[in-house]
Amino acid sequence: MVMQETVALARKEGRTLLTEVEAKHILKEAGLNVVDSRLAKDKAEAQATAKELGYPVVLKILSPDIVHKSDVGGVKLGLQDESAVGAAYDEIMAAAKKASPEANIHGVSVQTMAKPGLEVILGITKDPQFGPVLMFGLGGILVEVLKDVAFRIVPLNKRDAGQIVREIKGYPLLEGYRGQEPANVEKLEEEILKLSAFVESHPEIKELDLNPVFAYKDGVTAVDARIVLEGEG
Amino acid sequence: MPFDKKRLDRVFNPKTVVVVGDKKAGNYSWLRSMQTVKGKLYSVQVSEDEIPGIQEMGVTNYTSLLDVPGPIDYVLLSVPRKVAPMVLADCVKAKVGGVSLFTSGFAETDDEGRALQKQIAAMAVDAGMPLIGPNCMGLFNPKAGVRHSVDQYHGESGPVAFLGQSGTHTIFFCTTLEAIHGIKLAKSVSFGNAAVMDVADYIEYFSQDPEVKVIGAYIEGVKEGRRLFEVLREVAPKIPVLIWKGGQTDSGARAASTHTGSLAGSQAIWDTVIRQTGAIPVNSLDEAVDTTAALLSLGPLRGVGGALMCMTGGQSVVISDTFAKEELQVPALTQASYDDLGSFFNVIGGFYRNPLDISWNSGSGQILTRILKILDGDDNVDFVALELFVSMVARRIKSGHNGDSSFFDAITDHARNAKKPFFTMLTPTSAEAEAIELRKTMTEAGVLAFPTFQRAAVAYRKALAYWQQAAQR
Repeated sequence: MVMQETVALARKEGRTLLTEVEAKHILKEAGLNVVDSRLAKDKAEAQATAKELGYPVVLKILSPDIVHKSDVGGVKLGLQDESAVGAAYDEIMAAAKKASPEANIHGVSVQTMAKPGLEVILGITKDPQFGPVLMFGLGGILVEVLKDVAFRIVPLNKRDAGQIVREIKGYPLLEGYRGQEPANVEKLEEEILKLSAFVESHPEIKELDLNPVFAYKDGVTAVDARIVLEGEG
Repeated sequence: MPFDKKRLDRVFNPKTVVVVGDKKAGNYSWLRSMQTVKGKLYSVQVSEDEIPGIQEMGVTNYTSLLDVPGPIDYVLLSVPRKVAPMVLADCVKAKVGGVSLFTSGFAETDDEGRALQKQIAAMAVDAGMPLIGPNCMGLFNPKAGVRHSVDQYHGESGPVAFLGQSGTHTIFFCTTLEAIHGIKLAKSVSFGNAAVMDVADYIEYFSQDPEVKVIGAYIEGVKEGRRLFEVLREVAPKIPVLIWKGGQTDSGARAASTHTGSLAGSQAIWDTVIRQTGAIPVNSLDEAVDTTAALLSLGPLRGVGGALMCMTGGQSVVISDTFAKEELQVPALTQASYDDLGSFFNVIGGFYRNPLDISWNSGSGQILTRILKILDGDDNVDFVALELFVSMVARRIKSGHNGDSSFFDAITDHARNAKKPFFTMLTPTSAEAEAIELRKTMTEAGVLAFPTFQRAAVAYRKALAYWQQAAQR
């Protein structure tokens, strides 16, 4: 089981933040849709993995010590060929080492560049009184500036999933606004229920973010994932 | 703590009540409140200064709880906090049914208080003895004559239960619900710091009482949030549960921590819990009593569309605005209704498109009855609301309007026979004293009368939201 092994490894290494690759493996095992991310420990491995996955790809710094990857220049999007991947690798490493010289860097994650969709976010936090709470919102400025988000206590039932999606002010965007393709709300609700069930059965999870999740006409997929474990004891 | 229902039943319906530590300085308020108890009432007090006053009231006093002839079902403790563990040990020894601890100075005060609260909670849990409080006004059961306060009634009871972390709100909910809407309580509990029994326990207990049709709660914080969530999810679809959360802002939360030592928690999460479980959020005493009345008096509500009968043109405009702002609607009536109304409605100085300005048509009970019947039968209308200008209506009812009491009769007849939810809304303006009287007259005649149209709109919206959610479950 990926979950148990990963948690054991993190505990052994004395960390609570899982890497993107670890988080995505766990979520994939739980049946959630995520864009596959693979660990590449050096430049050659990054280039080989990119070739295998097919261009364009995304490279992200992979370190349990770096939470906000793009803030330190640790994310490069839309890389079209081997030389672009190589250059991006060097730039990411240089930037990460500059911003966070002490960080333990595993390498980079290589993933296929997902086709853009409507950005949504799913998150889990723990309330001291009510336990895990699931948050849903539309990505980008709608969540950052307007705080247009909705919450439900875990576990959610079908009705809760239907309501949390429709509770946000930006819901009409999911239905397709001004000719934009509508998102598959039913699939989104399914994903929310899967996430709720996963978190319910894993009390060792303290925080979880899927940000962004792309919502398409035919499904949803999480592009980035972050999991923080509860401290030990 | 999982509670023992039979044991709580015993505490709520005591045959023997003991008040420990009541004082002259407090005008012996606990003994005076409890003098209505159906059964025996005793006092325990060691101070020579206090005992004569207690005896003057005709209450037998003992100097130790262990001397009181048992079995003792309910003890109200009003002793200094340092003595509380000692007296509580006597309660355990005497196998009393349960204890309310009025004394404050526990988790809400300081480290010593927190330690003492831990100590008494552990004693109660070990003994399996229900402990209410500390820092609370305890139990109210009018049928058993057990009261928080001398301001409360006793004898008759009603269909509502209330639990509150504040004695003030618990007592005022009781007296205000009765004063404004003529509705009595079945039981209530003021439970302060909730050292042992918590919000979820009381809600679960009240939900098992066949007499209880609505539960109200004033909450400052909760210890077992998960359990509350689960209990609410179970209870709220069957019995409406109103939640009035104190400590919604940083300032309020700070006050809650010094009032009952409660962790107020995030308001966004509380809003979520209330919404997700199907409970009803209320934000004031007024909202709590009005929504309770709407739930009980109007029955299951079905829709947003109201026929608004107003007493003047200006009122019809602002009342429509008020209802619309509460997400209610004032729909056009059917053509059949318009044809019917058009055949007799005096449109000089009035109108009937909805809202209706009935000023010049409200003089006779016959016409009022006709209008009410048409609105009640209109397919576009979900409920009918009638504004009453207090000065005008009070005068009319008093004098019988030229010897004609038909206006009042038309209202009460309609309230009895209407197919659709019907209520009245007072506009008191300067006639406040008459408003109280009119409300009473209406309530006694079985007509729901809201103190203002604003309060009516809020209560209707909240009750409707409950019924709509319950229908979906």
